[in-house]
Amino acid sequence: MLRRPAASLALLLAVQCMGAVLVPHSLAEQVGPAVQARGAWGVDSLLLQFAQRREVRAQFVEVKHLRLLARPLVVSGTLLYQAPDLLEKRATTPNVEILRVEGDWVTVEIPARRIRRSLSLQDNPVLWVFVESLRATLAGDAATLARFHRITMHGDARAWRLELAPIEPAMRAVIASIDISGRGHTIREIEVRESRGDRSVMTILEGGG
Amino acid sequence: MRSVWVFALLGVALALCAALLLRTPVSGDLSAFLPRSPSPAQQLLVDQLREGVVSRLVLVALEGESEGTGSTQLAQLSETMRGRLAADPHFVSVNNGARGPLEAEGQLLFERRYLLSPAVTPARFTRDGLHAALERNLELLASPVSMLASEWIAADPTGEMLELMDLLDAGDGPQKRHGVWFSRDGSRALMILQTQAEGYDLEAQAAAVQSIRWAFAHARAQAGMPARLLLSGPGVFAVSARHAIKHDALRLSLIASMLASALLLYAFRSLWIVVLTLIPVTCGALAGAAAVSLGFGAIHGVTLGFGMTLMGEAVDYAVYLFTHIDARNSAASALRRLWPALVVGMLTSVFGYGAMLFSGFPGLAQLGLFSIVGVMAALLVTRVVLPRLVPDDLAVLELAHLAAPMRCMMSPLQRLRLPAAALVVFGLAWLVSQGGARWDDDLSSLSPIAQADKALDQALRADLGAPDVRHVLIVSGTSAQGALEAAETMGEALEPLRAQGHIAGFDSPARYLPSMSAQRARQAAIPDAPTLEQRMNEAAEGLPYRSEIFKPFLAAASAARVSALLERADLERSAYALKLDSLLLERRGTWYAILPLRGVADVSPVSYAAQRTGLPGAVLLDVKQEADALYRGYRDRALLFALIGAAAMFVLLWGALRSLRRAFDVALPIVGAIVTACLVLAVAEVRLTLFHLVALLLVAGVGSNYALLLERRALLAGDSVRSLAAVVLCSGSTVIAFGLLALSSTPVLSAIGSTVALGAVLIVVFALMFGPRPDELVMFRKH
Repeated sequence: MLRRPAASLALLLAVQCMGAVLVPHSLAEQVGPAVQARGAWGVDSLLLQFAQRREVRAQFVEVKHLRLLARPLVVSGTLLYQAPDLLEKRATTPNVEILRVEGDWVTVEIPARRIRRSLSLQDNPVLWVFVESLRATLAGDAATLARFHRITMHGDARAWRLELAPIEPAMRAVIASIDISGRGHTIREIEVRESRGDRSVMTILEGGG
Repeated sequence: MRSVWVFALLGVALALCAALLLRTPVSGDLSAFLPRSPSPAQQLLVDQLREGVVSRLVLVALEGESEGTGSTQLAQLSETMRGRLAADPHFVSVNNGARGPLEAEGQLLFERRYLLSPAVTPARFTRDGLHAALERNLELLASPVSMLASEWIAADPTGEMLELMDLLDAGDGPQKRHGVWFSRDGSRALMILQTQAEGYDLEAQAAAVQSIRWAFAHARAQAGMPARLLLSGPGVFAVSARHAIKHDALRLSLIASMLASALLLYAFRSLWIVVLTLIPVTCGALAGAAAVSLGFGAIHGVTLGFGMTLMGEAVDYAVYLFTHIDARNSAASALRRLWPALVVGMLTSVFGYGAMLFSGFPGLAQLGLFSIVGVMAALLVTRVVLPRLVPDDLAVLELAHLAAPMRCMMSPLQRLRLPAAALVVFGLAWLVSQGGARWDDDLSSLSPIAQADKALDQALRADLGAPDVRHVLIVSGTSAQGALEAAETMGEALEPLRAQGHIAGFDSPARYLPSMSAQRARQAAIPDAPTLEQRMNEAAEGLPYRSEIFKPFLAAASAARVSALLERADLERSAYALKLDSLLLERRGTWYAILPLRGVADVSPVSYAAQRTGLPGAVLLDVKQEADALYRGYRDRALLFALIGAAAMFVLLWGALRSLRRAFDVALPIVGAIVTACLVLAVAEVRLTLFHLVALLLVAGVGSNYALLLERRALLAGDSVRSLAAVVLCSGSTVIAFGLLALSSTPVLSAIGSTVALGAVLIVVFALMFGPRPDELVMFRKH
């Protein structure tokens, strides 16, 4: 029942990062006609489109429904992704908190508390699975993604929902599922369901940052 | 005496020795070659080296055999091995970085968090203290760590568990790849194992090492990949050193005795004579071992191995006898003529080896006793038994043909007298002026570990970020509680030093088992259940927490208030038990708490802070410096006894030969050879260790026989060609035996081997060089 903070932290970071990466709100402009012309809409074509971005900027509002709290916690801030491997989630309210993933390193910074901690992504195999699935997503590598998650696609090109269910038991003990939904080529919402009942919904706001 | 009685007596004596030996345990404890310590702190140090946690450490590295073996596969191998070894009773802990503290430790920390955490103070449980904690938790819930936080906040809102993990998990761990420890360059997967057995228990260590090898072979076969297993650690070293010594000693001495036998066979052309030469040495070894058994209760494996080599002199006795038998002299009469020289030679050896008895190293003392009794018994057997076994029809050694080559050798040598004398005089002056500089003052130089193994150990330690602890604070008390309280006081004094960066951190037994008074104070810091609940409600006002969710906290805190105190027994089955035992120990009624310091930037504030605690008997120990000083002290003592032994040898020679001049003639080649051997070692940049000292004593012991036989008056008076042949034969077999030993990969063996081989050659060279001119000798005049 006790998990090391570093491991759990890393796990969480990874979940959050994943949300951040899958934010191709301006995807429509970037995706070439070749992809459109292929016709059949599916995981493959969606991933292929994601792989084409160089940079993504957005604003987010995350609503956390926690068992401990009587009312939901609302966190908001900005998201940044730069190809090939930089991610930054910068919360501005209620507390300033910066989460940065670059290469193999994750850094958490809480300026008010003068906390700045870095840890290697390779520190944890569960995390590694997460990151690899992230990279596979970026690379449009559906095969690798499928190695770590059971992927289910709902809806159609206009309104879709990508359901990722971790295959690894160690992951499943923490994360029940990650749902990414969007319209066309834009991600609108990421919902993370924890195995113990907590739930967070992150809404991606258009025209951010 | 009738021969029958002699043989019966010999048989009974040998049977008694053998019976005694069969009941004598052979110990493999290498620390017998560590000094016996005078001060309690130093004794503690030696004990730690023998049986401390450090001595139970096994460092394991898995390395790909080719470029093709990736880190993924090595990580997998590491996990398979961990799974297998974790269930192995040889090990109390198996860690490859996967998972954090073991389940048992985590459980223990969590259940006993209010007794263990030094942050438990009354202020923490006031309304304000609790409010601050709850606000902090709210931030955690908003942060990405909410997943972790929500798990424990309800039961531990004040965060004692995090506090404990920070405290006990300090230190830079190794890097991880794929969830397990790796070297920085990613080429080696790493593991740390702790054996159940103490480091000096070589049998158990060997079994543990075997377990690791099996687990590796099993895992590798399962994965089907080419990988290499690298092992390091005190126990591993001890086992491999024993193996190497056994292996080297056995193999080399087999080869050596075969070669030496071949030499004797060539000289005497009689297998029976070769067999006879072995009788005195065998009897001597049995007697020596029996004496050690009586004197020490056990015999060290190394003593047996080295003792045999030290008794090389005993082989010579028989050779002296056989070379001196000729048409006019039967065995008995040859022996009568040789006897004075043999006795004086034996006594000089005994005086030389006597120095080892007083060296202060139990191992060396055993070696000394073994050799002294051994050579005495061997000479006795040579005198009493051998003549009765020499066949009447022994082919007389025809040595005339040796005269010419010997003359060729002596003439040019004697022309070098002046330069050689100058070399010895100036060499001696230089060595004396060098003082301690030529000595290896590092205690580790005594360890029989090959240099490559040491380098591997250092590499693995660096990879694991586990540098050797160098500074240690020791506090004491009359009871375990007293020592723990002292450790707590010292810990409080060290905390500010850590904050100021004078030290990177420290460990303390009180972290694993706080003193009872500290535990009671923590219990007293927690208010009673109604008060705590009321304060908690007040603290949560205005914060969005659901009511009633802190019930687990209220229950745990209330239970901790009245729970039984944590005891040593509660730590059993967790890795902390071993940790505690290594940091809290009892020696002769006094309890010691050991606080290892990490990253000491400056010693003076530490010693100042330690003094200011006013704790009686608090000692700041620089482990390395202390150990080296310890070693230096013993080396100086051993050197002193060696010099006394040398002086005694000279006085003995003087008395026995009844002439200062003759004593000088005998001593000169010995001194010359020893000085020159030291010079050669110095030029070869070999730093001298205690084992070189032993080797030089052996040179003096064996060499005194050569020098006595080749002494001017003896050569002029006696049958010079036989004496020369005897010495050439004996030194030849000594050089063969010890020259082979020099090839050993074990530092101890090669140090002794090279020094003795060199010394044996040099003594003969010096004796011939400063001996009579060839034309003075009868043997050469005939030509």
